[in-house]
Amino acid sequence: MILKNERYKAVNYLKSHRKGLLISLLFIAVTLISILGYTDNPIPLGPYKFEYPANFGNRINIPPDNPTTQQGVYLGRMLFYETKLSAHNALSCASCHKQELAFTDGKAFSRGVDFKLTSRNSMSLVNLLWARKFFWDGRATGLEAQAVIPMSNPHEMGQDTAISAKKLNSDKQYHALFKLVYGDENITGDRIIKAIAQFERTLISANSKYDQYLANKYQPTTDELKGMELFNRSPQADKGIRGANCTHCHGGAKNYMELFHNNGLDSIPKDKGIETLTGVATDRARFKVPTLRNIALTAPYMHDGRFKTLNQVLDHYSDHVLQSPALSSVFRGESNEIGGKQLKLDPEEKKQIIAFLNMLTDSTFVTDPRFSDPRLSKNKTKL
Amino acid sequence: MKAFRHLIFFTLFGILFNTVISYAQSVKVTGEVAIPLELKLTDVAQMPQTTVIRKDKDGKDHSYSGVILATILQKAGVTLGKDLRGENLTKFISVEASDGYQVIFALAELDKDFTDRNIILASTIDGQPLPQGDGTFRIIVQDEKKPARCIKQVTGIKVAFAK
Repeated sequence: MILKNERYKAVNYLKSHRKGLLISLLFIAVTLISILGYTDNPIPLGPYKFEYPANFGNRINIPPDNPTTQQGVYLGRMLFYETKLSAHNALSCASCHKQELAFTDGKAFSRGVDFKLTSRNSMSLVNLLWARKFFWDGRATGLEAQAVIPMSNPHEMGQDTAISAKKLNSDKQYHALFKLVYGDENITGDRIIKAIAQFERTLISANSKYDQYLANKYQPTTDELKGMELFNRSPQADKGIRGANCTHCHGGAKNYMELFHNNGLDSIPKDKGIETLTGVATDRARFKVPTLRNIALTAPYMHDGRFKTLNQVLDHYSDHVLQSPALSSVFRGESNEIGGKQLKLDPEEKKQIIAFLNMLTDSTFVTDPRFSDPRLSKNKTKL
Repeated sequence: MKAFRHLIFFTLFGILFNTVISYAQSVKVTGEVAIPLELKLTDVAQMPQTTVIRKDKDGKDHSYSGVILATILQKAGVTLGKDLRGENLTKFISVEASDGYQVIFALAELDKDFTDRNIILASTIDGQPLPQGDGTFRIIVQDEKKPARCIKQVTGIKVAFAK
């Protein structure tokens, strides 16, 4: 009888406090899950292992004084999205290099901290691990030398890296991060640049339909295949062989060859390109041949963003290459018409080439959480 | 009036001269060399000339003239001839063009003790300067089936050890 009474009391107690208990249990569970979630993602440490297909080759470019580490890449990623690196905290690297646009900004020219426009189009950032010369005129010979320039350019981020270092110094989270990467809390412009370069080297795109096709994992459509054939072939009008002659400059598994050409955009160019650096007239309007990887996402096109669509780009190469003394030889006398001066592709061929160019879009690259702003990431990393 | 005519003449001459100069490229020879060189067209013209005949993309034979690469390398003190042995056999030259294109040749491909095939730094085709777009200098490789190593617009030759 006593036992029965006790059980009755206990059941009644539970009944009356059920709501409160449930809330408490829920609270404990949520707290535990968030603690676990937080501590499950400490910043990874140690050398960074680059992963890429064998057909990309190993001619990679990492300076001996800036080896890539996982913690360095994490810091670089934080800094890539850090507006404190610009005057008035207005811009970060990501302002002109947005992941969803394959690290371009969709504009012909980008607006800097002084509200003035840049003189050239924002370049896509992809597979930089293999690049050796940077900018449209190739003037920087490494990512470290490149990254410092837009930061201090008054029409871009407009702030000396020494000031950036000072600003980061007042942000405590960076003390621990710099210590993790460099062994002490000293924040310098050089260390900022090096970390950003480390992050940029990890921006590897190797999962487009074209990569999958090369790995025998994707069967292209008829248009894609025909476009690929045209892309890869040189025209031989006398033999009736049609081609678009693209691989001279855009060939290979990475769709990138480090070349610099005058591609006949103007007879008298406003922007003299590499000639501005060398003073040699054969370098007039010679610019870097950009990667075609993710090309469908990186409009507008050319160093001055003059073409809004791939159709306009194809029209240029097919019908409107302008002659000048510095025009690269690859554009001279290459035609699908006997004795023709222009390449002359027909509308169906242009459509097929564009179908192939769309195969170069890597949708996993532009959505990869490893490349996004870590502050917005669902899985925040604990220091 | 005479002074005015002279002024016009010298101005025009100056413009022409500057145009010719600004289109000319030079070739730097660097790397594993005893004496780094920078060769202009006038320097190359003073060296012994060799002619190589090979087809261009028009399918026709053309006569290219220039200096045998080994001659230029010897002038820079590169280990050819009796010195091309041992570890020096792992040396190569990287030829770079102003458009960024690069090709390589092993030193042994260039040495007359190893081969009779001539590889020249050409500056004329059929007795004329190279056409626009091909630059001031072009490598011509005798008898090589593909023209891919006949690199145009040559601006640099770097000698290095294979690592």
